[in-house]
Amino acid sequence: MVLLEVRGMTKEFGGLRAIDSLDLTIEKGQIFGLIGPNGAGKSTAFNCIAGAFAPTAGVITFNNETINGQKPWNLCKKGLARTFQIVKPFASKSVLYNVMVASFATTNSRQVAEEKAIKVLESLNFADKKDILSSNLTIADRKRLEIARALATEPKLLLLDEVMAGLRPNEVDEMVEVLKKIREQGTTIFVIEHIMRAIMALSDRIVVIQFGKKIAEGTPKEIANNENVIKAYLGEDYVAA
Amino acid sequence: MNYKNINKVALVAILLIAFGLPLVIRSATYLHILVLLFFYAYLTTSWNLVGGFAGVLPLGHAAFVGIGAYTSTILFLQYGISPWIGMLVGGVLATIAGILIGLPTFKMRGAYFALATIAFAEGFRVIVENIDYIGPFKINGPRGLQIPPLDIGLANFMFASKEPYYYIILIMLVAVVVLTYVISRSKLGYYLNAGGEEPEAAMALGVNVARAKLIAMAMSSFLTAMAGTFYAQFTLYIHPKSIISLDLSFEIAFIALIGGRGSIAGPILGALLLRPVGDFSRIYFGDTLPGMHLIIFGLVLILVMHYQPRGLQEPLTRLYNNLIRRITHNTTGR
Amino acid sequence: MYYIIEDTINGILMGSIYGLTAMGLTIIFGVLKVVNFAHGSMLMVGMYLAYWAVTLSGMHPYLAIVLVAPAMFLFGYTLQNFVIKPIFIAEKNVREPLTVIIVTTGIWYILDNLTLLIFGPQYRSLADNPLNGQMLEIGEMFISVPKLYGCITAVITALGVYWFFQKTDMGRAIRATSMDREAASLMGINQYKIYNVAFGIGAATAGIAAVTLVPFYNVFPTVGVLFDIKGFIIVVLGGLGSIGGALAGGIIIGIIESVGPQFMTATWTEAIVYGLFLVVLFVKPSGLFGQKHDW
Ligand SMILES: Nc1ncnc2c1ncn2[C@@H]1O[C@H](COP(=O)(O)OP(=O)(O)OP(=O)(O)O)[C@@H](O)[C@H]1O
Ligand SMILES: [Mg+2]
Repeated sequence: MVLLEVRGMTKEFGGLRAIDSLDLTIEKGQIFGLIGPNGAGKSTAFNCIAGAFAPTAGVITFNNETINGQKPWNLCKKGLARTFQIVKPFASKSVLYNVMVASFATTNSRQVAEEKAIKVLESLNFADKKDILSSNLTIADRKRLEIARALATEPKLLLLDEVMAGLRPNEVDEMVEVLKKIREQGTTIFVIEHIMRAIMALSDRIVVIQFGKKIAEGTPKEIANNENVIKAYLGEDYVAA
Repeated sequence: MNYKNINKVALVAILLIAFGLPLVIRSATYLHILVLLFFYAYLTTSWNLVGGFAGVLPLGHAAFVGIGAYTSTILFLQYGISPWIGMLVGGVLATIAGILIGLPTFKMRGAYFALATIAFAEGFRVIVENIDYIGPFKINGPRGLQIPPLDIGLANFMFASKEPYYYIILIMLVAVVVLTYVISRSKLGYYLNAGGEEPEAAMALGVNVARAKLIAMAMSSFLTAMAGTFYAQFTLYIHPKSIISLDLSFEIAFIALIGGRGSIAGPILGALLLRPVGDFSRIYFGDTLPGMHLIIFGLVLILVMHYQPRGLQEPLTRLYNNLIRRITHNTTGR
Repeated sequence: MYYIIEDTINGILMGSIYGLTAMGLTIIFGVLKVVNFAHGSMLMVGMYLAYWAVTLSGMHPYLAIVLVAPAMFLFGYTLQNFVIKPIFIAEKNVREPLTVIIVTTGIWYILDNLTLLIFGPQYRSLADNPLNGQMLEIGEMFISVPKLYGCITAVITALGVYWFFQKTDMGRAIRATSMDREAASLMGINQYKIYNVAFGIGAATAGIAAVTLVPFYNVFPTVGVLFDIKGFIIVVLGGLGSIGGALAGGIIIGIIESVGPQFMTATWTEAIVYGLFLVVLFVKPSGLFGQKHDW
């Protein structure tokens, strides 16, 4: 079953075309990767899908409903959650408070929200830090908080924007396992990542974009062997490695 | 006794003292001062609902005080409608005004909202100060309105002694504090805090930030207008310079900020600490060094923002907690 | 009919002076993204400086610019560096530090009341300056000469500031910071130094405005408050951050204030100004000449 379908999505900033008629189809239960060089338009694509920006053109269908131009908070309630590349914690609040804001998306009761938040934190092995002020977290934990908050909204589709950037190798491995577990629990994941090792290990399917345009799509194996991708993005080192 | 119990005992003790005070203090002058103190604490707590939790800076709350005072007074003087009803009507009018200001500005940078509140309050003052009638309603321009104390009684919100006023404002204060407590623990409270701190993240997590702020603004406007009616009935005289002034708007905001925005105790602490200091320095320096009390106020404002941006409430709470910890430690340590 | 033309012209002249008083407000907002509530007080300080410079030396009032503008630049630079900057640093993580607004209000209280303490509440004016009461007669119309000078000064200042921001390295660095703090600091621009300079420039334009006002306007400790509120309205009308917008907003207010009384009482003109402000907020919140809001 198709969960997210993007057709001809274009986004212009003034004269700059950050996304150029992008097409994607994400099946339910997939982990779908999006890669590309810096400034390729990956985050912009997320922003359009999640409702932060209205796309200049194109149709976005989520769960059989056209969602162009809908507000982010409504999309969130429909099951579309996202993290931010530049993390945005509610800095003066505890980890638990941060996650509870998100778990209120599906309930009005404080008690239910708290229980749900703790469950999410436990599933991420994060519950021991629930009372720490989010401004005092390490980078790795801030990224984890981003995921925890997004998960607490009970999404059908989770958009993850470079949640592994800045993590140490062992932390990356840990994150890969976490994401696999989230998928096993039934959440579809759409992930932007620069760390090739991680995205190759995770993704069922990968789209590569450059200057806002799709230059390749396929399984991790196909992508790793694609001439265009190697030239544009992966570089000769990757093949050698 | 554990920490929670001590807090409860302390709270009950404070309430008992507050309600018992008129039995001890018989002087009308002192009661008058206390009533005004609570009046300010009520205003700053109401302000805090939007100014503290929603992370915006309303600087025109005196306009809502004015709307409340004028509405109930006009209804009473011209139509004989009880100020209790006028209080609610004023609240509704203020709510409408508050929503109209918030509607366009909550989607933008906080500066726009701050400036819009000032412009609204000043515009309202200019109108009230300069015209005698709005339609059939007598405003009486700069001379203000006087309420003749003829029909004393609860129905007319008019009393011969200070005690009833004391209890009314005390109950109002307790009610607004309880409301603040309930909201701060509710979904709305979480949404306000989140939207105030990181609007984009909040929106992505399902928070309609502008709507949450509007709700807070509506409640704050309503409650502030109720204080206006109280003030009119307490002093039986309202005029635009004193109740719709920019000075009052700023004073409400700054007392709450110095006390500690976004906390429950902060705005009350601010009012209870700063009002007396302000009055004292005004009386003490007023003749010899005009403006000295405002220089002090400005300095306090800057220093607090510098060293305690979350307000005086923070170090005071820490002090209190340490004290309690020491007490509980001593008693359970045996 | 002549009256209306005369009033319109005088309104434009006075309005451009209003625009000049608000220019610093819009410059500071454009870069620091905070409203400087002490701006009127800085204008007041500038007016006292100009008043005493002219009174003590007997020079032509406009010569005082040479003294007042640099002095006010230093004043603004120092104020931002020592009083406001620490707050910015403390609130680095906060997206829009409203505490800075509050601190500028503290500065306002202190400056106004210190002035009251030192100079007393009395109104002062440069009674025997060469511009006082001068009128230009064109046909049946009378045009105020000091306001005409003020208008010319306002336009020259606006052009100068515009040139500075477009053509100088420092100006470009300031614009880069105003567009994207983070990117600018990645490019090696010291954000706080830029804030100091922007604040200094804002204060200097307030100083220039002060010089244009002193020949025909009373000087007293709370004179800034009048221009503060007016300034807020002007910059929102014109678009917060837009220099040309400040001039245009000022002129709109100037015209309403001077033509309005022909048709209604002065009070209603004042009320109309506030009403116009609120209407603009509703219809085009970014102001008549501002860019579309940034979030
Ligand atoms: N709000 C905006 N306004 C104007 N231009 C923007 C905006 N957001 C992004 N851009 C531009 O769009 C292009 C794509 O940016 P985007 O952030 O989507 O890239 P990215 O692929 O996520 O890069 P990275 O790997 O560095 O995160 C860039 O040239 C960027 O400068
Ligand atoms: Mg990106």
